[in-house]
Amino acid sequence: MKRSFKYISGILLLTMLLFSISCKKDFTDPSAVRDDQAFTSPQAVTGIAVGLQKKYSTNRAGTYYNIVAANGFTTYELLLLNQGNLPETQLNTGGGSVDGTNTILGNVWTASNKIIFDADNIINYTKTLGDKGYASGLLAYTSIFKALSIGTMSMFWPEVPVGIGQNVGFMDRQEGFKLAIAVLDTAINAVAANAISAKFLTNIPVGIDIPNTLLALKARYALYLGNYDLALATANSVDLTKKSVFNFDPVFLNPIFETATSTNNVFQPIDSTLGLPVGIQPDLNDKRVPFYTSINTSIAPRFRINGFGAANLTPIPIYLPGEMILIKAECYARKHDVDNGLKALNLVVTKLPSADLYGVGAALPEIIGPIAEGDLLTQIYRNRCIEMYMFGLKLEDERRFGRPLAERKRNLFPYPFAERDNNPNTPPDPSF
Amino acid sequence: MSRLLFAPWKWPLLFLVLSASILCAGKATGQIRISGTVTGPDGKGLPGITVQVKNTTQGAATDPEGKYQLNAALKPGSYILRFSSIGFSPKEVPFQVGDATSYTVNTSLSEDALGLDEVVVTGTSEGTTRKQLGSYISTVKGSDLTKGATGNALAALQGKTAGAQITQNSGDPAGGISVKLRGTNTILGSTDPLYIVDGIIVNNATNRVTNTANTFDGGNFVGTVGQSRMVDINPADIERIEVLNGAAAAAIYGSRANAGVIQIFTKRGSSGAPVVSFSTSFNVNQLRKKLKVNEAPFKFGGPPNIQTQDILDPSLTNTTPVTRYDYQDYIFHTGLGTDNNVSVSGGKDKTKYYASASYLYNQGIVKNTDFQRYSFRINLDQTLSEKLVFKAGLNYINSTANEKPDGNSFFSPLNSITILGNFHNIWARDSVGNLQAVGERGRVNPVSVIEDFKQKQETNRVLANASLKYRPIKNLAFDYTLGIDNYSQRGSTFMPPYAYNVSNAFFGGGPTLDATQNGYSSAATNIFFQINHEINGTYNWDISEDLGSTTQIGYSEQYEKNQYTLAQGRGLAPFIETVNSASTILPSADARSEISISGAYIQENLKYKNQLFVTGALRMDGSSVFGKNERNQLYVKASGSYVLSETEYWKEGKVSKWWSLMKLRMAYGESGNLTAIGAYDRFNSYTSNAFNGKISLTGNPTLANINVAPELQKELEMGTDIAFIDNRISLQFNYYIKRVDQLLLNRIIAPTTGYSNYKNNLGSLQNKGFEVVLNAIPIHKKDFQWNATAIFNRNRNKALKIGQALTLFNTNGGAPVAILEGYPIGVFYGTFFARDANGNYLTNDKGIPQMEKGIQNSPLSYTPQRDANGLPTGTTLRRIIGDPNPDFTASLTNEFSYKGLDVRIQLDAVRGNNVFNADFKTRQGVGNGVVAQQEDLGEIPRGYIAGVYNIEEWRIDDGSFIKLREVYIGYRLGPIKGFSDLTFSLSGRNLISWDHYKGYDPEINAAGQSAILRGIDFGAIPAPRTFSVGIAAKF
Repeated sequence: MKRSFKYISGILLLTMLLFSISCKKDFTDPSAVRDDQAFTSPQAVTGIAVGLQKKYSTNRAGTYYNIVAANGFTTYELLLLNQGNLPETQLNTGGGSVDGTNTILGNVWTASNKIIFDADNIINYTKTLGDKGYASGLLAYTSIFKALSIGTMSMFWPEVPVGIGQNVGFMDRQEGFKLAIAVLDTAINAVAANAISAKFLTNIPVGIDIPNTLLALKARYALYLGNYDLALATANSVDLTKKSVFNFDPVFLNPIFETATSTNNVFQPIDSTLGLPVGIQPDLNDKRVPFYTSINTSIAPRFRINGFGAANLTPIPIYLPGEMILIKAECYARKHDVDNGLKALNLVVTKLPSADLYGVGAALPEIIGPIAEGDLLTQIYRNRCIEMYMFGLKLEDERRFGRPLAERKRNLFPYPFAERDNNPNTPPDPSF
Repeated sequence: MSRLLFAPWKWPLLFLVLSASILCAGKATGQIRISGTVTGPDGKGLPGITVQVKNTTQGAATDPEGKYQLNAALKPGSYILRFSSIGFSPKEVPFQVGDATSYTVNTSLSEDALGLDEVVVTGTSEGTTRKQLGSYISTVKGSDLTKGATGNALAALQGKTAGAQITQNSGDPAGGISVKLRGTNTILGSTDPLYIVDGIIVNNATNRVTNTANTFDGGNFVGTVGQSRMVDINPADIERIEVLNGAAAAAIYGSRANAGVIQIFTKRGSSGAPVVSFSTSFNVNQLRKKLKVNEAPFKFGGPPNIQTQDILDPSLTNTTPVTRYDYQDYIFHTGLGTDNNVSVSGGKDKTKYYASASYLYNQGIVKNTDFQRYSFRINLDQTLSEKLVFKAGLNYINSTANEKPDGNSFFSPLNSITILGNFHNIWARDSVGNLQAVGERGRVNPVSVIEDFKQKQETNRVLANASLKYRPIKNLAFDYTLGIDNYSQRGSTFMPPYAYNVSNAFFGGGPTLDATQNGYSSAATNIFFQINHEINGTYNWDISEDLGSTTQIGYSEQYEKNQYTLAQGRGLAPFIETVNSASTILPSADARSEISISGAYIQENLKYKNQLFVTGALRMDGSSVFGKNERNQLYVKASGSYVLSETEYWKEGKVSKWWSLMKLRMAYGESGNLTAIGAYDRFNSYTSNAFNGKISLTGNPTLANINVAPELQKELEMGTDIAFIDNRISLQFNYYIKRVDQLLLNRIIAPTTGYSNYKNNLGSLQNKGFEVVLNAIPIHKKDFQWNATAIFNRNRNKALKIGQALTLFNTNGGAPVAILEGYPIGVFYGTFFARDANGNYLTNDKGIPQMEKGIQNSPLSYTPQRDANGLPTGTTLRRIIGDPNPDFTASLTNEFSYKGLDVRIQLDAVRGNNVFNADFKTRQGVGNGVVAQQEDLGEIPRGYIAGVYNIEEWRIDDGSFIKLREVYIGYRLGPIKGFSDLTFSLSGRNLISWDHYKGYDPEINAAGQSAILRGIDFGAIPAPRTFSVGIAAKF
């Protein structure tokens, strides 16, 4: 008996000894950077900012493809090629068929909020940076994606989140455009105070002209807000000789090409009308139609994506010079200055492809005045639809120009279930 | 690190030192010989019976004639000879050693249908008889695993153990297999049990070294597809398998035991003349069922090459005459195979060995797919002294597979024909021999998939174990076990540049055949290393004549590391297969992880007479994957059993004449789970990808919790074992209820939080059910015996709490898999047909059924609405439309033996489950299916398929089946010139399925070994029908 107790106590001792050499349990992941580490390094934070451009501009789940698809199906720009693609089919049918499960809308919502979340952290971080030229570049570059994300949600939903957080509240979409402009203004002021350093620019993809992009987006959202003086003044300050584009690489392709053009299984242009109703369809000689569409005579469908979805590396402009000119035209027209409005419109109508930075040009004869204000606005709408075909902006235009409901399949979109089911402050869905 | 790996080595050294001193103290003993014959109830000799001199390490086994011979060094005195084997009640025969040098001991054994006296070692270190267990543990004999015409140990286990649902997810020659014990136990992790082979914790991961690019699946949630690594274990080496179904039995495995434990024991040598066993078989694998295809002589719209998709566009009413093909005849063929095993076992005095080599080769039913496995094993038992035994085992495996892309892409063999109207001449080539495009949509020609794609993987694996058992004094034993599992798995994929228009999404170059995009190549490697140490001490103490105690204490440590690397690219240089020929390098992967787990347990076992048994245990352990404050978890276990039939009043009563066994048992246990969380999942982090040549970092969409804790399971099990008429009829019944709390969930959260998902211990789930095992020996004569076993399992799974009303997953096959509180995990939740008051489909004026619309009040409540025409209006409605979890599973096995003839027939049934038949829909949409034929021929309205195409309920199919799973006919010639035993056999697997399924086989899962995505049919290859002819011989 005594002997066995000795053994048992021996076992206990052994076990305790083994515990004392218990194995290492704090391993760290060598293939990722933890968020608390990331926000200690300017290079890492710049990498996160570049990630925002990637998230916005590339991939079927990224913002850009989904804006083009949601807007394009809803406004008759696009032809659905396969009913099996359920979210595209829902949008193509429109009305009550579009619901909170729609992944295209879900992707726009999710990507936009993720970008805003990361952008807020980056913008906060820039305040701690000593290198002011680097900080202003990082702030301005990041603000482009934050503003685009807020602006996109404001174009598609009746109310938009006030920010990032648990059970965030919502505000009217007009407030969203105001917030986007505020974000852009902060960035514009920062760049004015400290010019963007070359050191920063070497760390981000080439292609984006940051100062002009900030102004162009501000002009766009000011127009949507109906602040025509601000829109006109800002549009005038954009240097129309500067390109500003999203570039792609062979791994992260042009998302329109990747998903639609190359597969011929998702969507193609509706036809040479570009989805415009009789009366304001493109002129048969409008050179923008062959810019945006190509023709396949042997295999259906006849009209194919061209323009900014033509090839895997085709850069996508963030805004077009034509958009800026048309903003000016619309602002004049809204302010009842029909003459200047027509003058600006004619700059677009007569623009030769060779004279445009990107080759977008109608090359039509000018519209001879006098023209009634209402007719001028209709022509401006028509030219916006053609000039910015498949840019994701048409739904906002349709509403602003008061186009008949028959020309679109929805006014605004329902909120994704991911938001509705998990945020009690989600507003009711719009009825149409 | 080095401390971790090598520190436990000190202990075996200590044992060696200790044992050396004991060796010196040994007394001189004489060599004697004991021999005899062991017979069964029918008087025939019993082979393979273990004969052991009790309390010594001396032992032998009987030969095919039932004879044994044992040389032992024994001092004069009284000894007990113990005879034991699975399926027989062990017997102890006392004998005296005197001056003689040879002794004869003959005996006969009676059958033990329930194996109550069988020793079970899983969950204990020293082993305990089944009689003492308070929980249900099933044992499957190795010989039952080799009769079913399969080279996969887990496939062989199908229908042989209660409480298990074993599904072959893919019919590829090395297709993955899911083992689910008592329902789904986790949502994020693997719900497969912990596998232990000879004390080695064996990795059963599914690593995607092929099918590598994320775009293969459109970036969607695809599940866990591919080979599961248990495919490396050769069933012919297996002596027996013990299955512990839940926490009540497995609690001392702590954090790893939520899904149960399957412990495999391989064959070991025994003293006596060397026995050489040889077996070979020739296998034929076939597609069991071919689907009918559209035979309409025309299609809608224009010619196939400019308009391949016709049915879904109801505006097309003109027709074009076409030739229809059956592409199944092209992609499928009859696969041949062979399975060869040779083993030598034997031993003398203190050394015993078992060595085996095997070669398995099987062709898949898809052309140009196969699997080959070489396996070598050596098991060694060495008695170092009377008190010290050393055991070691080494298993080397090399396996290679020629594969085709798995189901989840549209360039897998089956999907490439599913997505194609069957009116393309896919074999047509142009003048220089190039294949032609199939239609205008950039789809992949199936001929490219079968003939041109090369996808291979190879695994080299070593499983090693060593153990020492030391008995310093009577009743006290220590044992130490070391296990190592090390493998490298390499995969390569080569999709040559297409000569025709293939969409970018399928790694084509598009209409322009863009050379920078056309073609794909990848090389991936996964290297895994695992080492585990276990040390146990057991003390037996007979407190009084009636009361006995067994105390166990143990400590274990496990460390594993994994490194996965991937290189891939597209736009390949002509003729070059490797990644370096790619003009566009795609993102590479380099993922490394390390995990360690350590823990200790103490278990106390009390027995009163041979009737009442009580066990209690505590286990404390921790794993590196969890938050610092959650590292150490305590798990409790308690069980008791009462064998009424051993009591005096029972034995003396009349009832004992016909009622031979009555046992009641009850067990409670707790366990944890490690698989639901990766090594670093508790951190929020950013991963890197170059974009436009610049550093870009992307945040994780999932918000993590640094303090994440393991899932905790609590199981209560109650059961009874009953036997009548000398154990000729026996019944085992188990009822269990288990609950998993702190369930890890990746719940959807509002995107306005900055994340899409939140991963934390958010939920709970429950499984409850019962298992019945009925054994009967209706006929038991000298020449003829009939054995029957029926197994019935019923499990009800329910999500109790998931943190939100509904979690809906976007899956690759389009299956709307959901988790809803109060419903089984993984139900299908989606759109459904509008119905009229009588429950019939509501149709429009053209006779086309409609999708239900109205107002969705909550995930489970809705109000349908009708417009002025009586058609559905409002928003699209959703409800639960199907459930992949069966109502019950059952098996019936009948074994007959007449003289040398053995027949075994096994039927498996799964009832009441649904399959999401994605392929059925696709076949109709592209026009190759039978419903498409009806629409072509005007038997249903034009526009019918387009009308119902997106109603998810249309894809819900009946998954119930009864299968003739295994048939074995063997004829044993017995000893014949030159052989000590010779057996011829004929066997078959998956021969017939009785079902109403519209696809190939309802027993399938395109999502592979995923715990939550079950019952999805999306291009996965159905399990083949296999015939096998074999010869087994012993020399």
